[in-house]
Parts: sequence; structure tokens; C-alpha cells
Amino acid sequence: MANPVTAAAKATPEPVAQKIRGLSDRTIAWIFVAPTIFLLLAVNIFPLIWTIRLSFTNYRVNRPNNDVEWVGLRNYERILNDPDIWSTMQATAHFLIWTIVLQVLIGFTLAYLINKKFKGNDLWTTIIVFPMMLSPAVVGNFWTFLYQPQIGLFNYVVAFFTGADPSSFSMIGDVNLAPWAIVIADTWMWTPFVMLICLAGLRSIPDSIYEAAECDRASKWRQFWTITIPMALPFLMLAVLFRGIENFKMFDLVVQLTGGGPGNITTLTSIDLKREAFEKWRTGYSSAYAVILFVTVFGLAAIYVKALNKVKER
Amino acid sequence: MAEVVLNNVTRRYGDVTALDNVSMTIPDGAFVVLLGPTGAGKTTTLRMVSGLEAPDQGEVFIGGQSMNGLTPAQRNVAMVFQQYSLYPHLTVRENLAFPMKSPLLKTPADIIEKKVKDVAEILQIAHKLDNKATALSGGEMQRVSIGRALVRDPSVYLMDEPLSSLDAKLRSDLRIELKSIQANSGATLLYVTHDQIEAMTMATHVGVLDEGKLVQFGSPREIYEDPVSVYAASRLGQPRINILPADLFGHAPTGAKSIGLRPEQIEQGSGADSIVSRVEHLGDQTRLHLNFRNHDIITVTDAHTELKAGDIVAIQPKNPFFFDASGARQR
Repeated sequence: MANPVTAAAKATPEPVAQKIRGLSDRTIAWIFVAPTIFLLLAVNIFPLIWTIRLSFTNYRVNRPNNDVEWVGLRNYERILNDPDIWSTMQATAHFLIWTIVLQVLIGFTLAYLINKKFKGNDLWTTIIVFPMMLSPAVVGNFWTFLYQPQIGLFNYVVAFFTGADPSSFSMIGDVNLAPWAIVIADTWMWTPFVMLICLAGLRSIPDSIYEAAECDRASKWRQFWTITIPMALPFLMLAVLFRGIENFKMFDLVVQLTGGGPGNITTLTSIDLKREAFEKWRTGYSSAYAVILFVTVFGLAAIYVKALNKVKER
Repeated sequence: MAEVVLNNVTRRYGDVTALDNVSMTIPDGAFVVLLGPTGAGKTTTLRMVSGLEAPDQGEVFIGGQSMNGLTPAQRNVAMVFQQYSLYPHLTVRENLAFPMKSPLLKTPADIIEKKVKDVAEILQIAHKLDNKATALSGGEMQRVSIGRALVRDPSVYLMDEPLSSLDAKLRSDLRIELKSIQANSGATLLYVTHDQIEAMTMATHVGVLDEGKLVQFGSPREIYEDPVSVYAASRLGQPRINILPADLFGHAPTGAKSIGLRPEQIEQGSGADSIVSRVEHLGDQTRLHLNFRNHDIITVTDAHTELKAGDIVAIQPKNPFFFDASGARQR
């Protein structure tokens, strides 16, 4: 009797079949995983190790024929003592904190409102989600027009509500306003993303829990604080994590919008790093810079994920 | 505690009529069980009384007052949900205390603590008080959910299949416990179940629902002994009532289409012969599967019966029910 399984096995050419038969399950598993492991090593782990190695040298990639000197920790010392780098760190922190605060507050509020059952909430979700589907470069360009003092819509709206002259201030040109210009543009673009995550969180809360609370005579206020917030909290924290990591490496939108200026006021670390590495070609120095950033993000994210898991367990 | 009245209540979900002009009076202190298969409108009835949903037509009265437009909180109803609906990030203790912590009540902390303990004791979950609600088994969650209703002193308790996910032993313990709590406190209780044993043992009244219509309302005995239709007769009794062609045993009243025979309506030892096809010893009773003129009949017999498959037993009906073509009882 021809069993379909044995028939299929017979289809394997006999020499190949003989070879395969000799292998243990574990070996076969390794054979399947090997290409992935090789790719990971080649494009992730090797460059990382190579960067760490370069960070202890004065190597310059545009002068491949120069002698490479081993400089020890000198690159690190110079970076940590450089006030300019600390000011880019500050700019990054300002950008990170404010984008996260605004996006979580507005995103959660939008999600809360959209989650109410009303007609056309699907349509509204689609409309609200639109900005994050655009390319960051396009958004940057778009906002340079909006911020344009003479014809920009943003200046016009602010002027409309405050009575100030629209051409009396420039969001991009003013040292005090530029850091907020990038915060506003990023918030406009990415709040929908936070909203979607919050919406997933809110939708995961079963109606019947609210109904039980309704019968237990809990006010809407109490329901919000004892059901909605604790149950949506893991999702909120996840949104913060995503936005935090994403904005720590913010580049395209800000480059397009302000180019890091005026002066260096909106030069975030990733923009600064790119200049050091690929405009000034200080490869060793910028490698050390990259390692410092990597350790910072990795450390912060690790602490944060631990906290997130604790919240999830509750 | 209070009397609950439903007055011509109708509720539709789109094209489906979940409740069709239902009227019933749940007397103060009654234990009313709603019976019916899935989709009969049992849960919808609870939701109408609770105020979680409003009827499309008709009115609900609690304690003589119209509940039109009142919220569950204003109606002061306690509800046990089929899905448990515990507050997952709170402990069992906090879940049980939750309803008493309503600002409307201002219950002192020591009274809350005592009530939580008492209820946990009754429901056999005292050892789990400090567990998170999510770290419980289904049966434990269900008990916490019952407890959350029992800590309160509402005008009416509403329970949606509260014992469905408990094991058999706990289920029979809690059946007795719930019944005695209700009897002692004089609470009005509206209870939804599939389980006819729960209906028979706990109910003072049973309401039989069929596709949104209340087909019979009365004491469990009344419905068992005097059903209005095949449908109502099939709700109660184990083994189920045998429904057979009306003339299977000879002459039948005119218009009768089927005859209904509960085990006690089948006299064994006289009449026409039937063949035993199966004997099930259940311990306290023995079920007899018979084949009578190519129709299967299930009845009970003496627990120590000597009968076995293939034996011949003579049977004849005794005070049977007759039903007409629509399924209604003929009297």
C-alpha cells in the first residue's frame, strides 16, 4: 500500500536521503537557523564590535593610507568634556521629553474620545492616522511652509488667537522657538501612532468590566482611574518606549525642518554624530560617540522594559 | 428588597427581537429562575432590569417605582456577570470591597473588612483574599464575582449563570448556600441558568423563555407537573420528557399530535411490550432505554433492577400530557 508520507520521502533522491538520515534533529535545526545567524552576525554584531574597536583609534575613513594610532580612551574623554556635545544632549533631552509628554497626553485623549461609540469613528481614525503615513522628509518640508512668517498657516493661526503680528516671529529662525518648532512638528506626525496603541489598549478592556463597575455604583471618574488607566497603562508605557527609542535617533524630520539650526540649537545627537562621522570624517572619534549613545539608549531601555514588565504583571 | 415588575417589555437588536412583550411580576423575596436555551432572552431580561440597557417598549418597576431612564447605580441592583468581570489589577479583597467603597455609601473600614471576610468564608475563597484577580482559576473568579454582589444590600440581585464554571461538588455546595442566603435575607433574586437542577432546587418561581417570549411563569412544581407546551415540559425533568406520536399507545384525543411521558407517567409491568436497549446504573437510580414500536423511550426504574439489554418490559401511559400540532398542551 502506498502511504502518501512514504511516497513523498521516496521522492527525495537516494544519495541526498542517505545523507539526511544520518543527521540528528539538532543538526538539522542548526542548518535551518544558520543563515539567519550568519546575517545577524554580519550586519549587526560585527559592525558593533568593529565600531567599538575603532572608537579607541584615530582612524579616518577618508584617509585610509594614514597610519592608525591606538589612542586608548582619549576619544571618550574628549567627547565627555565637550560642552558642545552636552548641549546637543540637552537639545535631544528637551525634544524627547516634550514629544513624549505631548504625544501621550494628546494621543491618549484622542484614543479615549474615538473609543466612544459614535457614528463615523472609523472614518475619524483614518483621518487622524494620516500624518504618520507621510514621509518624514515630506512632513519636514510641509512644516517649513506652515512656519513661514509671511505666508505660513501656523503663524497665521497663532496670530489669529493672540492678536500678534504673524510676521513678527519665526518658529524656525528664533533660537527660543526652534526647539518647540521641531517638537510641534513631530507631535503632529506621531501622535496618531500613540493614539493607535492607546486605542488598542482601551479596546482590550471588556465592556462588561465597566458594566460591573456601573452596577457597583462607581462614578465615571472612579471607573476612569480604577479601570481605564490601570488596564491601559502597559499600552501607554509601550507607546512611550517606542516613541522614546524612535526620537532618540530622530534625524530626517529635523534636518529637513531646521537643519539643526539656528546655530546648533536643534542639532540633536544623531545629527551631530552624522556630521562628525560623514562630514568631518572623524571615524574613530564618532565611533566613540556612537558607542556612548548606544550604551545610553540600551541602558535606559533595559531599565524601562523591566518597569514595563512589572506593570504588566500586576 | 423589593418587588420587580416587567410590563410589556420589548427589546430588539437590529432585526432580532430579543424580548417580545414580556410581562412578569417578581414578588418581593422571590427567587426567580429564568430558563431557556441560548438566545431565549434570559440575559436580555437581566439587562433590562439592571438598567445597563433600556427597553424599546414597556417599562420596568422596582419597588413600585418606574425605573425609566435610571442608571444601574440609581436602581441599586447587584449583578453577577457570566464573564465574571472582575477588576483584574485588584486583589480578591479589593474586588470584594469595591462596591462598598462607593462614595454614596460611606461604609466604615471595619465593616467592609468584616463583610469581605464573611462572604469569602461562605464562598470558600478566604485563603485567596490577597491574590490578584487574574491569578485565579475560572471557578474562583466566578465565586469572587458572586461575592462582589453578596457584600451588598441591593434592591434586587441579578445573576447570570453564576455557577456555570464551578465543579460539581462546589456547585451543589453553593446552590445550597445561595438559597439559604436568599431565604434568610429575604432578598429578591433573578437568576439565569441552563441547569434545571438549579431551577428545581432553588427557585420559588421559574420563568420559561422561548425566543424572547415568556411562555410560562410559575413554581418549579407547577411547570413540571402542568406544563403549557412541549417546550416548557422539555425544560424540566431528568431524564427529559419523552415526546412521541400521540397514537403510539392507541387512541388519542382529537387534535392531539404528540404525547408527552415523564418517567413517572410510564407504568411498567402492564400494557404493550417494549424491548430494553440499554440499562444505565447511575447509583441512586437506573435509567432504562426502551424501544417501543421503533420509538426510543427513556425512563427510570428500580436502582437494583435485574433487567438487561434485550429483555422485554410491558409499558403503558399513566395520566400523560397531550400536545396539539403547535406544541401547545391539550387539556
